[in-house]
Amino acid sequence: MTEHILPVGKGGASGAVNDFLKGLLSSGKVKAVLALQTTPNGRSAFPVLVSDPDKMRSDVFTPLMPVSTATILSRITKTRGSDDPIAAIMRNCELRALTELFKLKQADPANLVLIGVDCPGTFDLNTYSNFPGDKDISSAVLDPKEREKFLRSACRSCADPIPGRADIVIGTFGMDLEKGILVSGKTEAGQALLEGMGLDAFKDDGSREKAVSEVREAADRSREKHIAEHSDIKGSGKIADFFESCINCHNCMKACPICYCKECLFDSAVFNMEAHKYVSKAGSKGSFKTPTDTLLFHITRFNHMILSCVQCGLCEQACPANIPLMDIIIPIAQNAQKEFEYIPGRDLEDQLPMIFYKEEEFESVGDH
Amino acid sequence: MSDFEPVVVAFLCNWCSYAGADLAGTSRLKYPPNVRSIRVMCSGRVDPVFVLDALKEGIDGVLVAGCHPGDCHYQSGNYKTNRKMKLIQRLLKDLNMDPRRVRFDYISASEGQKFADVVTEFVQTLKELGPNPLKGECQ
Ligand code: SF4
Ligand code: SF4
Ligand code: SF4
Ligand code: FES
Repeated sequence: MTEHILPVGKGGASGAVNDFLKGLLSSGKVKAVLALQTTPNGRSAFPVLVSDPDKMRSDVFTPLMPVSTATILSRITKTRGSDDPIAAIMRNCELRALTELFKLKQADPANLVLIGVDCPGTFDLNTYSNFPGDKDISSAVLDPKEREKFLRSACRSCADPIPGRADIVIGTFGMDLEKGILVSGKTEAGQALLEGMGLDAFKDDGSREKAVSEVREAADRSREKHIAEHSDIKGSGKIADFFESCINCHNCMKACPICYCKECLFDSAVFNMEAHKYVSKAGSKGSFKTPTDTLLFHITRFNHMILSCVQCGLCEQACPANIPLMDIIIPIAQNAQKEFEYIPGRDLEDQLPMIFYKEEEFESVGDH
Repeated sequence: MSDFEPVVVAFLCNWCSYAGADLAGTSRLKYPPNVRSIRVMCSGRVDPVFVLDALKEGIDGVLVAGCHPGDCHYQSGNYKTNRKMKLIQRLLKDLNMDPRRVRFDYISASEGQKFADVVTEFVQTLKELGPNPLKGECQ
């Protein structure tokens, strides 16, 4: 690992990173950069793929995640991996989701240079677009009071806001942002990119490490609290209550970086029956709610994605019925991942639990 | 609850457990008549959604049975199903449904007695658990 300092000038931290990315493009070391950029009217921000250094206008610290960059990279590389180096700037939940997509063969790692950024959390889409114009939203996300009010529930309980599997990590926690940002090359590819950029070496006084562990501890505490507060959403009746107002739009599935099926079973005609079957089902049950497959959709979705769920909360953010999905997803994901001793997104070498088996576990699944 | 008769759906592998069930029948072994058998070409064909749908529809218990380790005609269908059923059990726990409503076992074509024993035991467990709480729910 090599650690450098990226000097911060008039453009602030975001400007410094933008200049850094511009430099990467101009040097020809990468052909394109995928980075968050504010939309022309400032109402949102999306990952933009830039190849002309003069068009590099990234705002990587914008506290908004309308889509997962992992989903975008899957679309870009799935048909065929990249022939030219592409640098992608990502938050840790996006990096972790991408690792899962690599394992699921839904994205190709060839020639991707992953640059992780420390993530203080993101705001909900509507919070962002309605944010008062006189306030700076990138500083608001660092302000304890604003965080308390606006941070997405997933970010409050973030599994890990510090980039793990990345070639380069851009570190802000524990750094004096008026002066410099930490840039560390974690892999050979990352180090090669940083070489010759004329960056000073980072002098470690321990404050970075201290800040990182504080951030992690705070997230862990808030996670435990979250789980304790929502331990009552149990019982099959309560599950039905929980999804009572679901309009069965499947937005949660579409926003999820892990749900990758081209055609979801629940978007197909599998569950359509002839009219007389509906009538006879109503007859045998007395009555039943329509659409008929809402609860089954959710339970099956859990079954498909829960072991790879990176708890990014994009499902909750996409829900038009304001169902607090993370109240149920955080505990279910935590329990399932613990039982299968699997941490999604940690390492490409960790095998997906459902495609692999160990010889010693062949006892029957019966009473226990 | 003594007169409660649980409804069990059993997904049985064509190459082993289905024949095992057949043998139990032709050998006139005694086992409870609560089982509705569905023949599948391998226990690996049992998509978790079959199990979840059955439970959601109010079926009291789902039995999945396949070939013994090493005997699956498609190499690893039974191993993978073993894991899939464990995941379903984990989910059921979180949805506060008793995980014992789902059972996976290895039953070969010659194990008529084992089939009868597994069914007897399973029906007994389900009687203790009582009816599926989702029965009659309008979902
Ligand atoms: S879940 Fe974590 S990494 Fe993802 S946006 Fe929220 S704080 Fe950042
Ligand atoms: S289920 Fe929700 S929290 Fe989990 S990975 Fe998908 S979108 Fe993110
Ligand atoms: S996004 Fe919300 S309303 Fe739509 S299917 Fe998912 S939970 Fe239901
Ligand atoms: S063939 Fe019997 S379990 Fe696969």
